[in-house]
Amino acid sequence: MLTIELEGRKIKVPEGLTVIEALWDTGHDVKRGIGCLSGLCGACTVAYLEAGAQRVKFGLGCQTVVAEGMNVIMLPYFPSRMARYDMESMTSPLQELADHYPELATCNDCKACNICPEWIDVAGFVKTSREGGYESTAEKVMGCHMCGLCASRCPKSIAPQYVGLYIQRSCARQRPIPPNLAKRLEQMAVLAEDSEFAQVAALNQAELEVYCRKILDS
Amino acid sequence: MYPADLLKSLELVHSTRERRMAESLLRLEEQQRNELLKTYHPDYKDAAFRNLRVGANKGDRVTHEFADLLESFSDLDHARINLQPEFTTDVLVLGGGGAGVTAALFAESLGARVLLATKLRLGNSNTIMALGGMQASVAEEDSPLRHFADTMIAGNFAGSASLVKALVEDGPHIVKWLLDIGVNFDRNVLGNLATKKAGGLSAPRILSIGDHTGLNIMKVLKDEMRKSSRIELLEFTPAVELTTDADGACNGAILYDLGRRRHLAIQAKAVILATGGAGRLHNQGFPTSNNFGATGDAVVLAYRAGAGIEGMDSFQYHPTGVMFPDHMVGVLVTEAIRSLGAHLVNGNGERFVNELETRDLVAAAIIREVEGGRGVRTPSGKIGVWLDIPVLEELLEKGMLKKRFPSLFKQFRRVKIDITKRPLLIYPTLHYQNGGILIDERGESTVSNLFVAGEAAGGIHGRNRAMGNSLLDIFVFGRRAGLASAERRFAVPGSLSLNHVTRYYDRLKSLRISSVAKSPTLFPEFIVDKL
Repeated sequence: MLTIELEGRKIKVPEGLTVIEALWDTGHDVKRGIGCLSGLCGACTVAYLEAGAQRVKFGLGCQTVVAEGMNVIMLPYFPSRMARYDMESMTSPLQELADHYPELATCNDCKACNICPEWIDVAGFVKTSREGGYESTAEKVMGCHMCGLCASRCPKSIAPQYVGLYIQRSCARQRPIPPNLAKRLEQMAVLAEDSEFAQVAALNQAELEVYCRKILDS
Repeated sequence: MYPADLLKSLELVHSTRERRMAESLLRLEEQQRNELLKTYHPDYKDAAFRNLRVGANKGDRVTHEFADLLESFSDLDHARINLQPEFTTDVLVLGGGGAGVTAALFAESLGARVLLATKLRLGNSNTIMALGGMQASVAEEDSPLRHFADTMIAGNFAGSASLVKALVEDGPHIVKWLLDIGVNFDRNVLGNLATKKAGGLSAPRILSIGDHTGLNIMKVLKDEMRKSSRIELLEFTPAVELTTDADGACNGAILYDLGRRRHLAIQAKAVILATGGAGRLHNQGFPTSNNFGATGDAVVLAYRAGAGIEGMDSFQYHPTGVMFPDHMVGVLVTEAIRSLGAHLVNGNGERFVNELETRDLVAAAIIREVEGGRGVRTPSGKIGVWLDIPVLEELLEKGMLKKRFPSLFKQFRRVKIDITKRPLLIYPTLHYQNGGILIDERGESTVSNLFVAGEAAGGIHGRNRAMGNSLLDIFVFGRRAGLASAERRFAVPGSLSLNHVTRYYDRLKSLRISSVAKSPTLFPEFIVDKL
């Protein structure tokens, strides 16, 4: 058994449990802050202090295994301002970024936001966002699961996760339609395959099997 | 980090790598395929199934886990609940994953007022966990017809041709819609959508966003949901029963507010069930790749309301679920790894199946190895086989794993396993409910005004779902259900009743069924097995 401090309470738990399992094991009926249980969705962020350590660390509750002397709480949510917008009605959303997230300009690059459980260089993408390096930002936030831990550290109340998502969406919308998709949609618009499908509907099970195998051989 | 005895087995994997790279394994003949499935696939283990004694599908073969839920009573005191609606809306969407949000967006686009209720936080769903990608026939050498044939064959022709037709024909249009709202699918140097091959596909058809495809789509969908004031959201409020009118048509639901611990009735002109699958029922004791909320609620609710179901004896066991370390058991390793040529290696250092066979066959082959004593045992007694991921760096290029599988790389970096150097121990994990509630091409069930979308719906994937078809399915049928349900917004819903529940219970009682199980399950019972 290990002795840990869980949600401010000193308690013994078996070895090998994750923070979430330790909570369940000790009678915390936790539903909020539980998601995929695979370390992918960012619902279960925790803040913890390891035995003897000085610096608080952050992680995911479903992937952080408790250790002797650990002091840990769940931090599944942090209030951050999120702009409201209808992106489809904007012609060039990137030019409107400063209107929606004016606080971005106040960043003084203190790097306090670099606590990402996915090891994203948050300060780095906030900087490129400020400087107009939008494609680079979009690239960097691909692994962001919007847990909001970074926002909890920002003395200027910037919410990097929402800024990143805004830029990611804007960049994607700016790209021209992929030629292969455009071509397929064109082909489909002339309905050549619809008559094929009308035939399919009339087939019985055995004929359908033959038909499908024939398509693949063609 | 691996313990000493696993490291020893790993040495064998490393030392046989060169030899294995020179091998090419033949694809199985039809007879071998049938034999393998019949002997080792969990769907064919007769003792794990029984025939339903009540309801629209009385006599059908379903898993014990589902039969227990369908032949049981609810916690809800249906005779005493206050059925005065607290909210009235046009479209009630149950479920906050990809299918639910898509349905809500499309219903709203036609002017319907939407209320979306979800058990967990909006977006917490299996959609977010979809790693590998989404099928859509956009490649030059591909076509919707090919997509149709592949899907029918993968499902062993048990899928409905009309639903599969809807799936494949909407595919390219769905891609266009997703691009329009700001989803960034990977592209090649020419600006074309990059397409990848996968098990059982006759053309490259998998679109992806690195190895976190679902996450990046869900982020955008959630963001898009907030633009309209016509969509209202209730989080941490699962549905526990549907309501019906005097004619048996669906007209709302009873929700349970987890925070306030009280029930509330919602009246709607149409209801869309999009609460996903049932991995957390842990069929036959299998681990699962599914999220916390995947407890099969949709099928329970719809079945009590009289809806027909289909294929509830067919589940997908994804071949590559993690077996070590203990706290990651069941977590998925994307099929893209196998599609690119990673080897499956047993305890003797041998490959034992062509890794590009369909998921059901590969899973059955892994179970065969383990049952035949050729597995590898972890310190806690779990048994699996190796997935040789590092071989990809030699087959393709150095550094490709970190670049193309950043999510997987990070997941294992946390536990100090470097996937560029170390294979992973894997075993099939319960991944997907192939069957579900019967729907038509508009997404409507056999109960009027009750629509179903996503994993909860049945009839699309037959007896085995091909990789990437579920991510497409949720958008195709989410959209169709959203559009069709919005058209019901001018109807006048009758007063709410739970008469269907009373009738269903009467039948259970007349059969002397007095189950102790309560359904819907809502949340899995967690028994931490390390104690």
